[in-house]
Amino acid sequence: MNLLALHLLLPIIGMIILNVVKKDRVLYVTHVLISLFSFLIAVKIFIEKNYYFQQNLNLFEIIPNISISFNLDGLGMIFLLVSNFLWLMTTIYSHRYLNLNAINDRSKFYIFFTLAMFSTNAIIYSSNLFTTFIFYEFLTLSTYPLVTFKKDEKSIDNGKKYLYYLLGTSIIFLLPAIIITFDLTGSLEYKVGGIFGNNNDSMMINILVLLFIFGVAKSAIMPFHKWLPAAMVAPTPVSALLHAVAVVKSGVYIMMKIILFIFGTQILQETGADLILIFVSSLTIISASIMALRQDNIKLVLAYSTISQLSYIILSVSILAPLSVLAAILHLIFHALGKIILFLSAGVITTCMNIKNVSDMNGISSRLPFTIFLTSLGAFVMIGIPPTVGFFSKWYLLLGIVESEKLYLLIVLIVSTLLNASYYFPIIYKSYFSKNNSAYKDSQTEDYLLILPIIIIGTVTIVLFFDVDSIIMFAQGYIIK
Amino acid sequence: MSQLPILIIVLPLLMVPICLFIRHKDYVYTLSLGISFVSLILVCFLFYEVNIYGTILYELGGWQAPVGIRLQADLLSCYFLLLINFMSFICMLSGKEIVAKQINSQNIYLFYIAWLLCNIGFSGIILTNDIFNLFVFLEISSLSTYFLISQGMHKGSNIVALQYLFVGSIGAVFILLGIGIIYAHLGTLNMTDISEKFMHIEIPRSLIFSIGLLIIGVAIKSAIFPLHTWLIRTYAYSPSIIVAYFAGTSTKVGIYILIRVFLDILNSINPLEEYSLIQLILFISVIGVLLSTTYAIKQVDLKKMLAFSSIAQLSYIVIALMVFTNESVIASLVHVFNHSIIKTGLFLIIATIFVTNQQVETNDLAGLGKKYPYMMSAFVILSFGLIGIPLTSGFISKWYLVTSILDSNFWYLSIIVLLTSFMTLFYIWKLIEKIYFVQTNNTKTGSVLVHQGLGVFVLAALTLYLGIDTTFTVGVSENITNIIFSGVTK
Repeated sequence: MNLLALHLLLPIIGMIILNVVKKDRVLYVTHVLISLFSFLIAVKIFIEKNYYFQQNLNLFEIIPNISISFNLDGLGMIFLLVSNFLWLMTTIYSHRYLNLNAINDRSKFYIFFTLAMFSTNAIIYSSNLFTTFIFYEFLTLSTYPLVTFKKDEKSIDNGKKYLYYLLGTSIIFLLPAIIITFDLTGSLEYKVGGIFGNNNDSMMINILVLLFIFGVAKSAIMPFHKWLPAAMVAPTPVSALLHAVAVVKSGVYIMMKIILFIFGTQILQETGADLILIFVSSLTIISASIMALRQDNIKLVLAYSTISQLSYIILSVSILAPLSVLAAILHLIFHALGKIILFLSAGVITTCMNIKNVSDMNGISSRLPFTIFLTSLGAFVMIGIPPTVGFFSKWYLLLGIVESEKLYLLIVLIVSTLLNASYYFPIIYKSYFSKNNSAYKDSQTEDYLLILPIIIIGTVTIVLFFDVDSIIMFAQGYIIK
Repeated sequence: MSQLPILIIVLPLLMVPICLFIRHKDYVYTLSLGISFVSLILVCFLFYEVNIYGTILYELGGWQAPVGIRLQADLLSCYFLLLINFMSFICMLSGKEIVAKQINSQNIYLFYIAWLLCNIGFSGIILTNDIFNLFVFLEISSLSTYFLISQGMHKGSNIVALQYLFVGSIGAVFILLGIGIIYAHLGTLNMTDISEKFMHIEIPRSLIFSIGLLIIGVAIKSAIFPLHTWLIRTYAYSPSIIVAYFAGTSTKVGIYILIRVFLDILNSINPLEEYSLIQLILFISVIGVLLSTTYAIKQVDLKKMLAFSSIAQLSYIVIALMVFTNESVIASLVHVFNHSIIKTGLFLIIATIFVTNQQVETNDLAGLGKKYPYMMSAFVILSFGLIGIPLTSGFISKWYLVTSILDSNFWYLSIIVLLTSFMTLFYIWKLIEKIYFVQTNNTKTGSVLVHQGLGVFVLAALTLYLGIDTTFTVGVSENITNIIFSGVTK
């Protein structure tokens, strides 16, 4: 049987089982099995990638010349591996987390979690913009019950915000953008070099780029970023996997595909539309970092940091130089790894110590040595300090900037790195060197089951630092030709 | 000569005196349900025949067309006929308990008879090829509508029925006057005949005036903005099952008449263009969409909210008709079908759950997600359809609407469509939040039986199905518009 189809169907089958199962433990085992199989299939596809890159899965034609269809390319392969690996890790984490925080209604939690991951996989697999749009909306709707999981007033309000921003932008900007694209080109397929061909009406392309960049609000370009901080009311595993990896990276992934495979680099350069992308993403990088400085809540700091880091990826792609596109791909992976470490660690801090704010973190490293060590690791990835993988993406972005001779972007890079450092270092400094005033109870220590998946992810980032060449080889072999 | 067109009208009509004679509510219900089913089957056959053999003409009593009365079943008629009879059957299927609870038990048999008559009126409007007959059938349906509305439990029901009587009569006067002027000028009442004569003469102003009268009359009857006010209160105070039935049928019949008048009789909307009426109607419709969506957001009464939503959706259809390109007419036809299913489904859910209450406020939905998980999933699917989430039929309508409007001269109107479709989210989400996040003890609701849920689930399933497989809606609409536009060019 075609593995692509199986991979897409697996979460659906899983959801049916999850719906039937009642016991917490069985639910957990089922969910772990689903994510494990999903990851294994992704690995299997990776091993036989040359075969599966040729495969095409057509479901049905909804509108003449537009069908729901799936295939896989190099970029998708990378995102698929990352998201499915992190899904497995988060699954292991979330069981313990839900236990410790006494969160009920698990079957709903797991079902929508699985649905969200199904939508993410479907976005990765979709071979045209229309299919992407369908599952983009699915992803919004399937994460909504998770954002409002606590059902209190705040989460309902924030859930509403989440929904209005994401659905609203997709209806008002993304849908007309897709329709206009279809109108102009008669196709929505992702194609290397773009589908516009000679149709380079500069005005139209510029408008389309604007519609797309604001329409794909999941990539959190300002001013349509507010849903991401709002989504932080969700339980930590949701914030970690969905709002640092699956949802936001889907947005960025879609933008990358649009930039590379719908417009194509040539048309963007000719019409000057790349400057729009560079401008909005630079603006978001800087202003989100400044906003992150002002936050005290750990998760909100991370959320604003995510907004800024996502724009890094968009910026890297928009520079349109081969090396900067490579930087974007690397950052897609490394930011996912680093940010999920930070989020999961924040979950540990909140669960074990009941601390939600940065200002309360004084001296907690004595209680949570591993967690704080991992947090520092994640922060180093974000800032891009050499022994961690984060360094490579910034390095290649730098090279890309030099290659494309847009040297003014160096300012953005330097300023934002400084800003990154200035909101991450206080966290590390406080937890290691500040004195804590309050006495802790004995029970407030690290939970080893909870930090196990974080340690695994941390190990992976370190391994990848020494093996980054293989990723670069893959990217240059299959994506940037 | 196929006898189907006349059978669709006469069979239910024969059932009316029989029901009057029987008077027992259970038997009358069974008979009405049976005859609705038979009509539905006949319509399916008719559709099949028309699809294969083309338009079917039926001369009543063998008299030839301009003199005698003729029934005409083409694709357009079949499309609407299927919709109307399907809705009637679905509503009647799920309606027995609701009617039993809400209607005075002595009047129940009359209620079903009026329902049958109303449906006969609608079918007649759609099938007839004679413009005066159309008026007669319109009055049949209106008269039975007065009765149906007045049977509501609310003390306002009678007033609303009276209001509808007045407003409807005014509309009828407009229509009659329009028909009269046409007859005075052309000396014929047959639609095909009229349209042929229109093609060969320089159209005098008085005829344009008569067309205008017809449009206003139909707009009043089908509650097109800004002549919609009666509809809001009617929906709020009528028996809930009848609201579900009307939501999918009565306004759509109005749209059918508009399409017939414009496309079949006038052959184009050029006469309107001459007096720049198109811009005016478009402008009014845009205002209508915006205003009624805003009102819908503000409503506390659930039925009024959905009623305003219907007005907004009707305005979409009118906009698409007025834009008048091949694609936009397809879009409006597709949207007629999809919106009917969605709106009837929503009203049917409300009717089924709040069996004993005709007045339902948005707050009454609180906590129903736990109590009726399946019904509420259907509710969510249908409301997703209303918003236009992908893979529901609403998305297909929206796609075609936006595409066709973008392609036309009025491309900027697509902004309005997109904006209001986003605003739909506001009021729909208010409901969904109530359903799933608010916990209260609800006393207004009753229990739901399986066969009552059936209709709702069929409609919800159709909403999904028509969102994926569009061969029926879009395919048929394409054929209809091809026929229409080939008529325009000749």
